[in-house]
Amino acid sequence: MSTGIHSGGCQCGAVRYRFSTLGKASICHCRMCQKAFGNYFAPLVEVEGFEWTRGARAVFASSNLSNRGFCRDCGSPLTLETDDVFEVAVGSLDDPSVVYIAYHANIADRHEIIMRLDAIPDASPDREAENNQWNARIVSHQHPDHDTETWPERKA
Amino acid sequence: MTQFHSGGCQCGAIRYRVEGALEYPHLCHCRMCQKAAGNYFMPLGFAPGKTLTITRGEPGWFQSSDPVRRGFCRDCGTPLFFDTLQSDGMAVTLGSLDDPAAFPPVSQDGIETRMPFHAALGSLPGKNVDRDDLPGGIESIASTNHQHPDHDTELWCTS
Repeated sequence: MSTGIHSGGCQCGAVRYRFSTLGKASICHCRMCQKAFGNYFAPLVEVEGFEWTRGARAVFASSNLSNRGFCRDCGSPLTLETDDVFEVAVGSLDDPSVVYIAYHANIADRHEIIMRLDAIPDASPDREAENNQWNARIVSHQHPDHDTETWPERKA
Repeated sequence: MTQFHSGGCQCGAIRYRVEGALEYPHLCHCRMCQKAAGNYFMPLGFAPGKTLTITRGEPGWFQSSDPVRRGFCRDCGTPLFFDTLQSDGMAVTLGSLDDPAAFPPVSQDGIETRMPFHAALGSLPGKNVDRDDLPGGIESIASTNHQHPDHDTELWCTS
């Protein structure tokens, strides 16, 4: 357990949260987490002292026991909630690197590629140059990785 | 013969179909994809031209920057599409495919913000989850699963 103030939210910033305590964290490979996240797995951390600080999450009851919270304005997956456990999507934290993932869960559904992620090559120099050119053009509408007084920010 | 791959969101309100192969399947580690995905990276593959058809529902869209909008399901939140407005075609999230193993990633982009422990993910210990914390165990989830099945359906009604 690690205690402090941790904040996070969805991509657009309509829904923001804060919590005090980080608990057990795992990467879940079950097909429900995969599809809910549109990804190969879901990184989830149990938290305590949690409060929503802006907006209201939407909820999909993915089973009779589990609710999944997300932002209806931008779609970011945010939480997995049961009567007993409240978990946050690690990538939605403003600083996801504070979470220490302890283990892989539901490995029966795990994709083989996960065991050799480091074998996937980095983008070629040409591709990187292309990406960098692209990034230089981007004016992001993403909420910054910290709490804000008001949102959306309007730039002059 | 042309191959089709189907996919959609968790609840099944949005379904799509891709004709032929997705191009350049890759993991994007940029902070925008991370936060949009609530994850460490977003896996994307590009459906060129008009090869992507939305076969059920209307996705929600978030304009994450001027050149790009991201499509998702308003009913369950699943991130589905990455649409560069100027490009002819659209990328889909590989995990939303009914067969996510169909297009293994060939590259990693946005490595400047890749998580420092990314390469070590494969070496974490693994365990099957029993959900002993729930009164009915894992069976209580499996038997009440509200997720859309991994294939197209004639009718689907989210309860």
